[in-house]
Amino acid sequence: MDIFLDSLESAFLLLLACDPELMDIVAVSLKVSTISTLIASLVGIPCGFLIAYSSFYGKRLLLTCLNTLLALPTVVIGLLVYSFISRRGLFGSLELLYTQKAIIIGQVILIIPLVTSLTIAAVSRIDKRYRNTALTLGATQIQMALVIIKEARYGIGAAVIASFGRVIAEVGISMMLGGNARGFTRTMTTAMALEYDKGEFVLAVALGLTLMTIAFGINMLFHFFQGRAGIDAL
Amino acid sequence: MLYKADTLVTEFKGRKVLNLTDFVIERKQIYALIGANGAGKTTLLNILAFLVQPTSGNLQFCGRDVSCRRKDLLDLRRRVVLVDQYPILFTGSVWKNVEFGLKVRGISKKQRERRADEVLELVGMQEFRSADAHKLSGGESKRVAMARALAIAPEVLLCDEPTANVDEENQKIILDILERINRENQTSIVMSTHYLSQIRRLAHHTLMLEHGMLVNAYRSSPL
Repeated sequence: MDIFLDSLESAFLLLLACDPELMDIVAVSLKVSTISTLIASLVGIPCGFLIAYSSFYGKRLLLTCLNTLLALPTVVIGLLVYSFISRRGLFGSLELLYTQKAIIIGQVILIIPLVTSLTIAAVSRIDKRYRNTALTLGATQIQMALVIIKEARYGIGAAVIASFGRVIAEVGISMMLGGNARGFTRTMTTAMALEYDKGEFVLAVALGLTLMTIAFGINMLFHFFQGRAGIDAL
Repeated sequence: MLYKADTLVTEFKGRKVLNLTDFVIERKQIYALIGANGAGKTTLLNILAFLVQPTSGNLQFCGRDVSCRRKDLLDLRRRVVLVDQYPILFTGSVWKNVEFGLKVRGISKKQRERRADEVLELVGMQEFRSADAHKLSGGESKRVAMARALAIAPEVLLCDEPTANVDEENQKIILDILERINRENQTSIVMSTHYLSQIRRLAHHTLMLEHGMLVNAYRSSPL
């Protein structure tokens, strides 16, 4: 218990002093997580909408596959992407391994099924009469889609937040594809794992606190924007 | 002739829900669709609004065959509008709802504002212009839905039970609006209803559906 309390006290001091190493790690984490969430959202939200609003052979199988991919371990994605971007891999010549881009690729693969599945759930909950109302008022298919996405915005927002939370807290992909290089690919979670291995808990606890504060801040922001109506809609 | 259908069949999960032969709707008239629940009134209105494709048969609108091509359907949908029995209002203000049909047609903001104000005045909802659309009562929602439909000046107004679950005061307002737009704008109206008083007051023609088939069609003189 003493170790934890001592670490906690030192962690607070480290945070208050805005330790440069700590700030570097936080910045890398935020950068890769934000970019991967943005890319996954740009792909996953339209895909989720199309799947929810289309009828095609094999739709149930696709939904089952998507739900299965939600349980995909990060180390499996790490291995898969590694096999493609390692020196002997198909894209080895691009020299992506142990770069931030490699982490982003892995994280995008990790959360695309999550964004897509949660978007499908959010859009499917919207009354089908919204679609017909938009169409009878003269909307094109794209304008109708925008109406549905607007009505499902709280659910879709929650999907994006959940995905960001998933990538900022993951360690397997960042470690395997990023390599935990100091000041370059060291993220909060990989740094925490390293500090734990070294038996140095202070930085690990400080990073843990920062991670939780960021998650809390993002959720507060989300709830502030969605307001009462959003809470009722979820 | 506005609509003409010949051996129009609509099936849903293998069940025939509509089977119309020799079905005609004339311009500038008010048609009342009557029939028991499940008779096919709502399905027919959805077909007339080009929201549902019939399984087989031929439907003509203004003398031309209705095509299933997306572009053609969009053009056709922009000439008619369906007001649902339980209308859906989009999230946002009453004004945002009313201007929707104009906005998707690329009408300028100035014109949208003028037109939205005109129709809100017509339905007596101008003081609710900035109100949250989801906080209106049932009758108010129906009037806003009516204003939203009228804003785009449709050739045909299709109404699925326009006065269902509405108090007497709002019923009167809605019926007055229907009567007025038919008289002043020559808008063709097809409405489903269960009320004989509404048929007597408004309808030029009454079409009776039973098990998806047109069993009776007669001309009437509105009071």
